[in-house]
Amino acid sequence: MSDRNAQADDAAVRMTGITITFPGVKALDGVDLVLRRGEVHALMGENGAGKSTLIKALTGVYRVDSGGIAVDGRELRFDDPSQAQAAGISTVYQEVNLCTNLTVAENVMLGHEVRRGPFVDWRATRQEARRYLQRLNLDIDPRSPLASHSIAVQQLCAIARALVVDAKVLVLDEPTSSLDKAEVAELFRVVRTLRDAGVAILFVSHFLEQVYALSDRMTVLRNGRFVGEFRTAELSRRDLISHMVGRSGEALAGIEEQARTAVTTHSSRETPLLTAVGLGKDGSVEAFDLDLYPGEIVGFAGLLGSGRTEAARLLTGADRPDHGGLRLQGSPVRLPTPLAALRRGIALSTEDRKKEGVIGDLTVRENIALALQASRGTWRRIPRRELDEIVQRYMVALNINPPNPNALIRNLSGGNQQKVLLARWLATAPRLLVLDEPTRGIDIGAKTEIQRLVTELAADGLSVVFISSELEEVLRLSQRVVVMRDRQKIAEVTNGDDVTTETVLETIASSGVHAS
Amino acid sequence: MSTDQLTRTASRGTGPRASVDRVRGYLGRVDRRFLPVLGTVLTLLLMLGVGQSRYSTDRASFLSMKLLSNLLVDNSYLLVLAVGMTFVILQGGIDLSVGAVVALVGLATAKLFTAGLPLPVVLAVGVLIGTSCGLLIGVMVQVFDIQPFIASLAVMFLARGLANVVSTNSLAIDDPGFSALAAWSLKFGEGRGLWRINASMLIAFAVLLVAVYLLHYTRFGRTVYGLGAGDRGAAVTLMGLQPARTRVWVYVISGTCAGIAGILFALYTKSGFNLTGIGMELDAIAAVVIGGTLLSGGVGFVLGTGAGVLVYGLIQVLIAREGLDSWWTRVFIGAVLLAFVMLQRVVSVRRR
Repeated sequence: MSDRNAQADDAAVRMTGITITFPGVKALDGVDLVLRRGEVHALMGENGAGKSTLIKALTGVYRVDSGGIAVDGRELRFDDPSQAQAAGISTVYQEVNLCTNLTVAENVMLGHEVRRGPFVDWRATRQEARRYLQRLNLDIDPRSPLASHSIAVQQLCAIARALVVDAKVLVLDEPTSSLDKAEVAELFRVVRTLRDAGVAILFVSHFLEQVYALSDRMTVLRNGRFVGEFRTAELSRRDLISHMVGRSGEALAGIEEQARTAVTTHSSRETPLLTAVGLGKDGSVEAFDLDLYPGEIVGFAGLLGSGRTEAARLLTGADRPDHGGLRLQGSPVRLPTPLAALRRGIALSTEDRKKEGVIGDLTVRENIALALQASRGTWRRIPRRELDEIVQRYMVALNINPPNPNALIRNLSGGNQQKVLLARWLATAPRLLVLDEPTRGIDIGAKTEIQRLVTELAADGLSVVFISSELEEVLRLSQRVVVMRDRQKIAEVTNGDDVTTETVLETIASSGVHAS
Repeated sequence: MSTDQLTRTASRGTGPRASVDRVRGYLGRVDRRFLPVLGTVLTLLLMLGVGQSRYSTDRASFLSMKLLSNLLVDNSYLLVLAVGMTFVILQGGIDLSVGAVVALVGLATAKLFTAGLPLPVVLAVGVLIGTSCGLLIGVMVQVFDIQPFIASLAVMFLARGLANVVSTNSLAIDDPGFSALAAWSLKFGEGRGLWRINASMLIAFAVLLVAVYLLHYTRFGRTVYGLGAGDRGAAVTLMGLQPARTRVWVYVISGTCAGIAGILFALYTKSGFNLTGIGMELDAIAAVVIGGTLLSGGVGFVLGTGAGVLVYGLIQVLIAREGLDSWWTRVFIGAVLLAFVMLQRVVSVRRR
């Protein structure tokens, strides 16, 4: 480790005093960042701390208002991403930024095609692409359209693309959020190889474990300001978190404790609010039974693609079932559309925040009002004063930042967008709220707030379905856990001390023993 | 879960569903991006089959080089327009100006000949008029962030208006060089089987080849497709390519094609007229869509556009052979277009 110790002249990138202002928001205020050759550097901070903005300044997407960027000691100004790439900075962005209409090979090699004379040599280009994909142990046909692959594979393609340029600096913005364990391990192996080859790597992740496993050093941001640069080995997790949130670690632990104790206090078992009887859809999810009670949180556990989302969509009218049906408080009910579900008090907060959640060009107020307006009908306009009141109430209750209902939602951080979505559904006063991955890509502070809110809502009698890839989170919040695998409900367990992440994982792993 | 599990999507059915699955699996193996073009080719074959069975006589087969030659002679200007339009549509835009540009170029050419300018200069100026119109649209779209629909609509009015300023009468072109170019052709066969290759066909073919090269064998081409991916070019920008330059170029290419098409149309009619090409831009768009290019951009092939133009021309031939009023052409083109748009809809729904 010591041979990778930083010398001043080891800096591949030195950003000093970076300030970026958006209309009405100072996104970054005099931030410093130094990336050293042969080192993995983690950029830490809550949602909205300015991590993404800083990355986009480094990669030429945003122009800096003041401050300097030096690559290899040379001061550079980036006006667009191609200039940053020309300077040797290669980036994998948080959301997959590839062209889904092109093939895998085209995406990996776009801009770096192998040419023979004036022609692109597609055969050689495909071979090159395959070589880079194999470095990630990804064995897929380079000729297949990118859209035919899962998000995880697309993410790996984006990483393969970043390897194509012999980058001096590799920026990985949340590269692991859609990868499973084996894929993460594979990625880490490649990152370490690159690091040992002298590449400077900037790594951003919300998974603290991954940050500690991979990084040598970290820079912490808070509210667009530089908090400090630390050696990973010398910074405890508790200190890191308190640097990030600006609160002491004990206070944070308190919140988690509160959420945990709330779990056991509510479980009324009268008539179920919603009952699924043999509900299923061909090619989507096998038929399953489920009772959802008021005041209860039911967690869906399972790997990505296990059918969690599909089940949630069937429960909320987003998809129409091929088999079985739903009963609402005992009487059969048909939910042909999400609107029909909404009018009966059933709301779904979708997994894909960007595509199926927020409408980026609308303001926070308009985004909150959408579902409420829909449930009332197009012609019954919500009076402005009532709307303002509702928006104000939720902005305060959910601590939405910036507290400006007129801000365009696409300018908010991921965590705050998620809170706005939550507000949107809560404004319709639902009886059942299905939350699909409400905490994905969200920092610890916002995550705890959302978790606490969910427990409070359940305590007030709301029935909640909570879906998350983080098993710990599901177990912490839910009274009952539905375990899914291979598009089947394979088990339903009442949460208790004997239910741990290990037992749930065992259930998922054991082959078909619990299948009905 | 390992990646090979992630990528494994094929489902294995048993019993009665197995055969359905097999068919579905087979269809799944055909790259979905080829499906619309496959539809175009099938439509073309179907129409040729119908023509062959209904209009072949003992003395002459419907299917012949003569048919192909006539189709290309009558539609070479449309092919050039449609090829240019393919670039624009693939990139996710639209160009409504091309029909008006054809009229403007035709009239300008006629006027320049009357002014006594030599043939090469007139042809170059004609094409450059188209190029400038395209550049104007490109700059409006890229620099001023104006919707392509509106930007090209503005240029359409501009070009049509200028054409009216040049002349409101049909101007005949009697330049000897131009007439010779229009009359020149390579003749093959004899008697009823006589067919020919003329200058317009060669030019249109050259344009098509250049387009194939640009779209399928250059980085520029891939950027055009990437821009049509439906994210307003965000991905292409982040990949460090040149979205701005590419977007302007696409309209320049479309405008240049309109300029060339204007000259081809003048060669075809040996005149310029301010009312030519009304609705021609829509014919070009129809040919592109029938040729299997997704109107939303990002998916399609320029050779498909070639097939689309042939389908378009063949509809006219069949209507004429059937002895129907020529207005039926529009009805049939409408029906074919509708069928193709619905096919595209199915393809894009399945893509999700």
